[in-house]
Amino acid sequence: MDELEAIKVTFFQECEELLADLEGGLLAMEEGAGDLETVNAVFRAVHSIKGGAGAFGLEPLVRFAHVFETLLDAVRGGSVPNTVELAAVLLRASDILADHVSAARGLGDVDMAASAAMAAELAQWTDPNAAPAAPAPVAAPVVAEEAAPVIIGADDDAMDEDDLGFVFVPQTITVEAQAADAELIPSNVWTVSIRPKSDLYRKANETALLLRELNRLGPIKATLDDSALPALENLDPEAAFVTWIVRLETEQDESAIREVFEFVDGDCDLEITRGEASVEAAVAALTATTEPVAAVEPAAPPPVELIAPVAEAPPVEAAPVVEAAKAAAVAPPAQKATPVEVPGPGQSVIRVDPERIDRLIDLVGELVINQAMLAQRVGEYGIAPSSNLAMGLDELEQLTREIQDSVMAIRAQPVKSVFQRMPRLVREVANMTGKHARLVMDGENTEVDKTVIERLSDPITHMLRNAIDHGLESPEERKAAGKNPEGVVRLAALHRSGRIVIEVSDDGKGINRERVFGIAVKKGLIAPDLQLTDEEIDNLIFLPGFSTAEKISDVSGRGVGMDVVKRSVQALGGRISISSRPGQGSTFTLSLPLTLAVLDGMVVDVAGETLVVPLAAIVESLRPKPEEVRPLGPVGSVLAVRDSFVPLIDVGLTLGYREESPHPTDGVVLLVEGEDGSRAALVADAIHGQRQVVIKSLEQNYQQVEGVAAATILGDGRVALILDVDATINLRRREGGAPRPPEPSLIAAE
Amino acid sequence: MPQASSISVLVVDDQLTMRALIRNALQQIGFKDIREAPDGEEALKNLLAKPANLVISDFNMPKMDGLALLRAVRSHPPIRQTAFVMLTGRADRELVQRAVQFGVNNYCVKPFTVQGLKEKIEQVFGQLT
Repeated sequence: MDELEAIKVTFFQECEELLADLEGGLLAMEEGAGDLETVNAVFRAVHSIKGGAGAFGLEPLVRFAHVFETLLDAVRGGSVPNTVELAAVLLRASDILADHVSAARGLGDVDMAASAAMAAELAQWTDPNAAPAAPAPVAAPVVAEEAAPVIIGADDDAMDEDDLGFVFVPQTITVEAQAADAELIPSNVWTVSIRPKSDLYRKANETALLLRELNRLGPIKATLDDSALPALENLDPEAAFVTWIVRLETEQDESAIREVFEFVDGDCDLEITRGEASVEAAVAALTATTEPVAAVEPAAPPPVELIAPVAEAPPVEAAPVVEAAKAAAVAPPAQKATPVEVPGPGQSVIRVDPERIDRLIDLVGELVINQAMLAQRVGEYGIAPSSNLAMGLDELEQLTREIQDSVMAIRAQPVKSVFQRMPRLVREVANMTGKHARLVMDGENTEVDKTVIERLSDPITHMLRNAIDHGLESPEERKAAGKNPEGVVRLAALHRSGRIVIEVSDDGKGINRERVFGIAVKKGLIAPDLQLTDEEIDNLIFLPGFSTAEKISDVSGRGVGMDVVKRSVQALGGRISISSRPGQGSTFTLSLPLTLAVLDGMVVDVAGETLVVPLAAIVESLRPKPEEVRPLGPVGSVLAVRDSFVPLIDVGLTLGYREESPHPTDGVVLLVEGEDGSRAALVADAIHGQRQVVIKSLEQNYQQVEGVAAATILGDGRVALILDVDATINLRRREGGAPRPPEPSLIAAE
Repeated sequence: MPQASSISVLVVDDQLTMRALIRNALQQIGFKDIREAPDGEEALKNLLAKPANLVISDFNMPKMDGLALLRAVRSHPPIRQTAFVMLTGRADRELVQRAVQFGVNNYCVKPFTVQGLKEKIEQVFGQLT
């Protein structure tokens, strides 16, 4: 019963989605959504969980879901009023349902007492006269003794079907007719009509190759229909106009013919019919009208009461590829008439073991490196860029990049999966702290690599807790300050310069800088006479050992400080910062790379070492003129870039590659911009050019090094370090003047 | 006696698990040509693009429920002959009544076994081989 085990795995995956739907619906109900569709969706979620659970004999889950479902059905039917109080109860019930699902999966236990109490509570709502302690026992699906057949879609009240008293006269549907029909036509002659779309050529496919493949199946006679070809002056060279009608004699079946077109699936209109068809008829079939019903009309069903077999079904414009189901499963049809649909939770979604994708991404990473190495070798041999070899390599590079993008896109997911857990959290934390909070979410559909998403949850959770617990005032305080007693917490995701940015902001009181400064001094984190800007004070909360709550509240506390959040974010190549305005609120900004796998970088030489500078941070590169370099202080210097001055930072010096900086005019300067918008001019010795590199984590293989974000392997096989631009700027600032933002090591030293 | 393997089936259910279970059951009965759709809308599109001999559809689904699908199938001439078996999750006499009005060929009350489903289908097509 391996297959059933596989279905069971699917079931639990689906349960997660259903539980999320359930919670989403219940939260909407709690906010007053009383529409039937919401209630129905909630009902369906519980009903589906129960149905699946019944099939696998997960008894406790079925029993609880049944009581839950019964109440929801009553709400749906209107016999139990849909109130906010009810929604609160249902939300608690959904927690227990989730526990049951986890338990059924072998992950954790259910508090059976709580479950029974909740079941009783739910039953009470359905029938106020019911004995409170006895949840209605559910008739377990009757399982026949001998073979223990699988029961599909278990439901309540396993009723006797015949009770409904409907008798059906068997239909005379003769399916054999299909075979009989087919025999009238010479079985080995097929007409294959192919109308390539422009995408087919764009993807570097070639009709001649398709014809050659067809020829392998048997003798072909191909006719070209160029009637759609416009006059030369109207010809769009990128578009496709011709249709091939191929008469094929083969002993192979339709699937073998179809297989030839596997790689151009969706990129051409394809019609395969048994028997000989005139060219005109074949073209007409391909050009069937857009009105689906009308299009099907002319080919009336065969005399027998049988649905027209596939091959005879006239094509419908909306689904040009005959085997629409297959096409849908492989790729959404690229048809102008139908907008590309986001695949729903249906058959067009393929579930893949994430490990396979990870493996694929690793391989593509290696491919990128390999391709780069190859390109470099070719360059070393002095082969002309116009040579076939070099041009072929260029193509290879483009293809590699496309493959990489496509592979990365497989793993990209909207941040929704993390965001949708947050309304719940906000509600709970607000209840616990006695605050009134409303969560506003923005950009849930922002996509980011799955590996990044998984690690977003903790920092977001923590920042939200923090915003409600420390940021928002109590309703009384808010009223006194002339604000709406209900505070607003905003959670937003957006893409910015190749990174994903998560913002958590509140409209609370903002950071009490005096108090933060005082605490930092009291805890010995900074010297009492240290002069800090407002921004620097705000950032003190990221220092290890800093906690503004006098006592660790069980809400934001949980034993984790913002310093831990910051470190975990940094480990991902991300950054976190805070800005705050007294009386108006604070904003945490978290920025992370979109993917943890590849990076566009500029390869530079510094003191004999090769470094990669992330392209996203580079504004421009320039060769400074002597008059543009101005000294600043005893060691520092700045560069005049147009009308502003930017601090010059010698990367070699900052990373400790050399003791003395060369003059900036001897090297190349990369003008970079940090996450906070501050600019700096990085001095390097030479630039080698732009390259996509595969990120190899330094922490995993060695340890974290300040100023270095990660490592990579270059085309020639050497390891190069990837520069952490922000950290480099900060390292420099420490040497130059006041710490900004303060870093623990420095402040402790002072 | 029709061969199960020569009957094409479209399974319509919003739940992936349920579709997988029904597909599994159909395969045990001997069906080979099995397609799936997650709701009535998709099912109708699917059928219009490529007819099937038999539709096995759940009732409660988002977008277009089983009853609406049944009505749609019966009102599209090219596919109106499709055999239609409705799965009803609940002991809902009224639902079955309405389904009968709209021309359902049979209904099957959940929970059902593979054998139960087979019998329901055989009541429509005659004994399957």
